[in-house]
Formats: sequence, C-alpha cells, structure tokens
Amino acid sequence: MSEDPENVEKMEGDSAKPDRMFTLKKWNAVAMWSWDVECDTCAICRVQVMDACLRCQAESKRDFYGKQDCVVVWGECNHSFHYCCMSLWVKQNNRCPLCQQEWSIQRMGK
Amino acid sequence: MITLSQRLKKQQDQAVSNNRISVRDRLLARELQELSQILPSNCSVNHENVNDLSSFILSIKPNEGFWQGGCFKFGVDVTEDYNMVPPIVKCLTRLWHPNISENGEVCLSLLRQHSVDGLGWSPTRRLNDVLWGLLALFTDLLNFDDPLNIEAADMYRTSKEDFQRKVNEYVIKYAID
Ligand SMILES: [Zn+2]
Ligand SMILES: [Zn+2]
Ligand SMILES: [Zn+2]
Repeated sequence: MSEDPENVEKMEGDSAKPDRMFTLKKWNAVAMWSWDVECDTCAICRVQVMDACLRCQAESKRDFYGKQDCVVVWGECNHSFHYCCMSLWVKQNNRCPLCQQEWSIQRMGK
Repeated sequence: MITLSQRLKKQQDQAVSNNRISVRDRLLARELQELSQILPSNCSVNHENVNDLSSFILSIKPNEGFWQGGCFKFGVDVTEDYNMVPPIVKCLTRLWHPNISENGEVCLSLLRQHSVDGLGWSPTRRLNDVLWGLLALFTDLLNFDDPLNIEAADMYRTSKEDFQRKVNEYVIKYAID
C-alpha cells in the first residue's frame, strides 16, 4: 500500500507527456477487449455468441436453415463459443483456447 | 454422368475453399486494423499487393538490446485456415540470433501449431500477439537456453563481446534500412 501513492504520482507525471498518453490508451483498449471476450463474444471468430458465427455468416447459412443452425456450446470451464468454431478447434487441440483446460461440453443451446 | 458428378464435386470444393478465404479475410481485415492502431513507431507493416491482405512484411527496428540499429523484415503469410492455424512467419533479414536461424526460421512458441503447454497457437490469438512476440524476441523472450542457432548461443556464453561484435557485423552487412 505504501508504494501506491508513489506509483500514482509517477503515472500522472508521465501522462502529461503526449507520448505517454498513447501508451495509456493502448492499455485501456486491451483491458476492454478481454472483458468483452469473457462476456459474450466468441473468442475464436469474435462474433457475439448469440449471433451466427463468422463461418456461417460467410456461407449465409441463415438464408437456408435459419439461425438455430449455429448453436452455442459451454464447456465445463464455463467458457462459451459457437459450436461451429469450437468443433473445428478441438480437432487440433482438445483444450479450451481461453483457459487451456481439457475441453468437455457442459451444455449446448442458445 | 461421371462428368456431372465430378463437376458438382469441383463446385462444392470451390465453394468450401471460397468460404474459408472469406472467413480468413474477414478476420484479417479486422486484425490488420487493430494492428495499425497499436503499431509502435519502430515497426511497420507493408503489403506488397494491396489486393492481397494475407501476405505482408513486418519490419522491426529494435530500439534497445543487441540488435539496436538494425531493421529486420519478417514475411507473414496468413493461410486459408487462419485462425485455426498460426500465420507462417519467416525472417527475411539475415541476422545473428539464438532464436532465429540464418535461413530465417523463427522459434517463437505462439507460432507453433501444436503444443501441449498452452503456449502455442490458439484461435484466440491475433496478429497483435504475433507482433508483440516478434518484438519480444529482441528483448524479453530472447532465449539462449533453447536455441535454434546453437553456434550463436554458444558464442554468447563464451563471450558477450564476441557475440555483440558478430551481431553488429551482420547488422551492417544485411540489416541497414
Ligand atoms: Zn465463433
Ligand atoms: Zn456457425
Ligand atoms: Zn475455458
């Protein structure tokens, strides 16, 4: 705790310089992105899990089969992805790409 | 009859392949934009063919460490199967480095397609991570214990001065921008 005020002061001092501003902005962007992924974006294709995955969108599968064709899958680790995206990845490596745990399906659906 | 089914098969293959290119290109368009937003001033990205996003040259000018003063070009090829597979990265500038061979092979864990330790490629990684990884090869990730260029690592162990001298020699010969 005793070191904190020193750090804050240092950062504020540095942020007065324009080149430091850039660095701070960069860190913000990174933090926001990972929060987004944890929430509801498929970390593989970066489309919201509630929407059809990038692959299905590219094929415009929706036009033929409707949206329910592209389902969401939750692992035992509680991470969620599009089933389409995850089934491609597990062929190579049967681990969750976010937490590296052995992948096993907890549930599927929407 | 054979011709018809063959033709259908060909069309199908074409469709599958086109679709994959499209997914790859969509990811690429976004990731290249992200990359341009965070690109440090000592790095640059150049597409030789503006109509082909999938192949570009990443230039790095380390501003600290042994390779300071050099400009190192990496060829990055993003294949159709991206992002299930990592981009193919080759160093196009000859250099003296324990983790980059003189032929340009790059030893960076995140560019490995298969890994059991969780440090290899994963579809959650993106071009930004590749950039940070390559930059770090000149600083934090520089590793003399598990070298690709064994001679370079041995030289460093015997004499850091000799190592630096040889690095400089290569920089002057091959890596001046
Ligand atoms: Zn997805
Ligand atoms: Zn899908
Ligand atoms: Zn997980």
